[in-house]
Amino acid sequence: MPKKSVSAFKEFLWEVGGISDFTIRFFREGFKPRYEWSELGRQCFIIGYKTLPLVGVTAFIMGLVLTVQSRPTLEEFGAESYLPAMVALSVIREIGPVITALICAGKIGSSIGAELGSMKVTEQIDAMEVSGTNPFKYLVVTRVAACTLMLPLLVIIADLISLYAAYVGVNIKDVVSIDLFFSQVFNSLVFGDVLPALIKTYFFGFAIGIIGCYKGYNSMKGTEGVGIAANSAVVVSSLVVFILDLIAVQIAEIMGLT
Amino acid sequence: MDTKVIHHFPKPVDPNAPNIVAIKDLYKSFGDNHVLKGFDLNLRKGENLVVLGKSGSGKSVLIKCMVGLLYPEKGMVEVFDKNIPKLDRDELDHIRVKIGFLFQSSALYDSMTVRENLEFPLRRHWISKTRAEVDELVLEALENVGLKHAVDLMPSELSGGMRKRIGLARTLILKPDIILYDEPTTGLDPITSREISNLIVDIQHKYNTSSIIITHDMACAKIVSNRVIVLVNGIKFIEGTYDELEKSTDPQIKPFFE
Repeated sequence: MPKKSVSAFKEFLWEVGGISDFTIRFFREGFKPRYEWSELGRQCFIIGYKTLPLVGVTAFIMGLVLTVQSRPTLEEFGAESYLPAMVALSVIREIGPVITALICAGKIGSSIGAELGSMKVTEQIDAMEVSGTNPFKYLVVTRVAACTLMLPLLVIIADLISLYAAYVGVNIKDVVSIDLFFSQVFNSLVFGDVLPALIKTYFFGFAIGIIGCYKGYNSMKGTEGVGIAANSAVVVSSLVVFILDLIAVQIAEIMGLT
Repeated sequence: MDTKVIHHFPKPVDPNAPNIVAIKDLYKSFGDNHVLKGFDLNLRKGENLVVLGKSGSGKSVLIKCMVGLLYPEKGMVEVFDKNIPKLDRDELDHIRVKIGFLFQSSALYDSMTVRENLEFPLRRHWISKTRAEVDELVLEALENVGLKHAVDLMPSELSGGMRKRIGLARTLILKPDIILYDEPTTGLDPITSREISNLIVDIQHKYNTSSIIITHDMACAKIVSNRVIVLVNGIKFIEGTYDELEKSTDPQIKPFFE
């Protein structure tokens, strides 16, 4: 095996080890008092509320485009009436959670990576530490918890906006009342469609938070390190979202929830 | 009329004053770079001790070992009779409240205003203080450094000298017994450097603090020091008053005073 591949593989293993260690530390320190409630609230506001416009616009476009592009295929089979059900299943089970998580990986992951990275480089984390405040609890635990709590909420809102956009999309060519549209949507959904999709979003949120924090908290010295931390936070957390999605689908299938 | 007393010389140290910091046989390495190789130091109550040394000689490493930011391989670092490397997190945080640390970069939290920067340690350690008491302490700390008017500015709006002063105000706000200054005048013009040096002396007079000042600025060392230690090749090479060392003909010491 070439020397380069061996060192890249070693680096990968170090990274996996580092993130695992960081995750264990999160659980070890996160449940011990003192709890940083006010900082958690502030982070929930930043992560949840401030990401909402981006998630909302993306979700609307996603629902509309999905509806408009699916229509011709369904029309070929005379199955336009299945359009609301098809869009609902796609959005709720897969597209809503994954696209929202990817948007959050880009926006939240990079901002956490850059913020903590620059705090590390400018000794702000050390300043917090020497003032007798545990920076891991104050900075990391609050951000990871806020990501874990806010992502499912963002996904629920994104799903609703997508479905509304689908309703708009259906009405571009047909005339369907909102009651009829949503009754078709909800008739097509079962418990097994909604619950696994919702549960996996908690894991997506946790992964985005922990990877963003890990990259920022361990960024190397210098401004270059801050850029690398932000960039790799996005790349790694996006990849992890796909891997978690794959695992979630397999588990749901084994449990008979698909 | 401004009645502020300006002190131009450090306060003499009581010959019977007890040692509050004792470092013995301290070793610290980074890979193959052996920075400290059996360093010894004592700090008496009320004393301003200057540690002189070339860049990269391990001066900052020394004070970082004193607050548990770095852990030595070998040796004892006793602060208030507690061996810092052996303390658990809670004990260390308890000691850290009594030690102020002024970072070379000032390390102000750049997402917070000056007021919030100063309130941060107060709110975490003196929880029972009322809003009015907190405001009073913040303004008192800012008055000590002559920057009362900067209370609502962001760190990005401050000059280098102002950042150092605000960093010092944040350090002072918990009324520490020991202050560790990491190159307090680096990167400042000679006039501002002298102002910061005079401020260090004023603080010693006003609060009877004990300080370790890490520097290679001889003008600062002359103004602030009761005693000077020169760190060469990882060990305490020589110690004495500024005037004594100035007369030294040793080729390792002479270049500092030329």
